[in-house]
Amino acid sequence: MIKRTLFFGNPAYLSTKNEQLIVSFPDDQPDKTVPIEDIGMVVLENPQITITNGLMGKLVNNKVALVNCNGQHLPDGLLLPLHGHSEQTERIRHQINASQPLRKNLWAQTITAKIQNQGALLAERDIPIQKLRHLAKSVQSGDTGNNEAQAAAYYWQHIFDLPDFNREQKGLPPNNLLNYGYAILRGIIARALVSSGMLPTLGIWHRNKYNAYCLADDIMEPYRPFVDKVVRHMVETKDQIDELDIHLKRELLTIPALDVKIDGQKSPLMVAASRTTNSLFECFAGISRKIIYPEYG
Amino acid sequence: MDESFYSRLNQYRSLWVLVFFDLPTETKKDRKIASSFRKKLLDDGFSMFQFSIYMRFCASRENADVHIKRVKKNLPPKGKVGIMCITDKQFGMMELFYGTKVAEKETPSQQLELF
Repeated sequence: MIKRTLFFGNPAYLSTKNEQLIVSFPDDQPDKTVPIEDIGMVVLENPQITITNGLMGKLVNNKVALVNCNGQHLPDGLLLPLHGHSEQTERIRHQINASQPLRKNLWAQTITAKIQNQGALLAERDIPIQKLRHLAKSVQSGDTGNNEAQAAAYYWQHIFDLPDFNREQKGLPPNNLLNYGYAILRGIIARALVSSGMLPTLGIWHRNKYNAYCLADDIMEPYRPFVDKVVRHMVETKDQIDELDIHLKRELLTIPALDVKIDGQKSPLMVAASRTTNSLFECFAGISRKIIYPEYG
Repeated sequence: MDESFYSRLNQYRSLWVLVFFDLPTETKKDRKIASSFRKKLLDDGFSMFQFSIYMRFCASRENADVHIKRVKKNLPPKGKVGIMCITDKQFGMMELFYGTKVAEKETPSQQLELF
C-alpha cells in the first residue's frame, strides 16, 4: 500500500498515543492524529518542532524515513531503523559477500536502466536520442567506458530549455529543485533498502568514504529521471523557482506517489522502490541475476 | 501532470471503514472487555465519530481489508458489532449537524500532508 508523507514546515509538538502520531499546534487549533503505520516519510523543516523520543521510537519501528532539514531548508539527516528486516543479519552477510564481478554486473544494469530512462525523458521533447540509445546498449560490466558520464553530459544539455544550464550541487536554479527532489528520492530508496534487510551504507559502485548512503545512491540512479520530469514540469509552469517555497516543495513531495511502470505494471514510485530493493537482494543471494528497475514512459 | 497521476487516490477507490458496536457493560469484566475493544480500535487508527461508532480512512480496498480483519480478530465474546465500508464519495455526501447548525465533516487524509 502507498504510504503517506508528512511535511512539517510550521512550529508543532509531535507526540504519540494509541499508536498514533499526534500533532499539537502552538495556537488553539485542535490536535491532529495520524496512524503511524500509514506513514512512509516524515520531513521536519522548522526549528520550532519538538518531537518526543517515544514517537521517534515508534516511527523507526514502523520503518518510517524521518528526514530533518537544516537552516537552508535542505534535508541533512535521515533516521532509519537498525533492524529493518527479520533476516537482516543474513541479508547483510549476502550483501557484504557479493563478489566483485556481480557488483560490476549490477552496476552495468543500473547504468543501462538509467540511460534508457534519461533517453525516454528526452524523447518526449523530440530531442534526438540515438546517442543515448547507443550508450545504453554499449554499457560494459562495471561501466568501464564511463557511459554514465557521457550520457549525463548530453542529457543535461538538452533536458531543460535553459541555455546555460549546468548540473551542479550549488549551481543556479533549478539545481535547488533537483537537490531537494533527489534528497527525497534518496530517503525513499534508503527506506526501501532497509526494509529489504540491507545496509544502505555499502554500495555496489559508490564507495566514497564520506558518504553514508552509497547503496541508496547507486540504486536511485535509474529513478532520477522521474524527479527530473517533475522538475522540468515545474521549470516550465512556475513563475519563480529561485526560492524553494512551500508550493514548490508541495510538488516535489509528490515524488513518492508518482506512478511509474515496473515489470509491466503501474505502481507508485515508493512501492516500486521496494520491488527494486527486493530484486537487488535476490541478486546478492544468488536467486536471480536481474535487478528490476522502473522504465520511463 | 496528467490526470492519471492522482487517480490512485480518487474518491471512488478510497474507503471509510465504520465500526458500530453495542457491548454489555453490566459487570466489571464486561466493561473491561468493552474498553479494551475500544482501545484496540484507537490503536488501529480509528477515531470516534459518535459514542460506539468509530471510523477510519483507508486509501484502498486492500488497506481496508487489513483493518477489517484486525477488528474481526479483536471481536469481544458478547455484544453486537457491525462493520461497514463506504467510498469516500459516499462519505462526502453525508450531512452533519450540531443542533441545527451545519457541522464540518472529517476530511480524508491525503497522501501528502503539509502541516
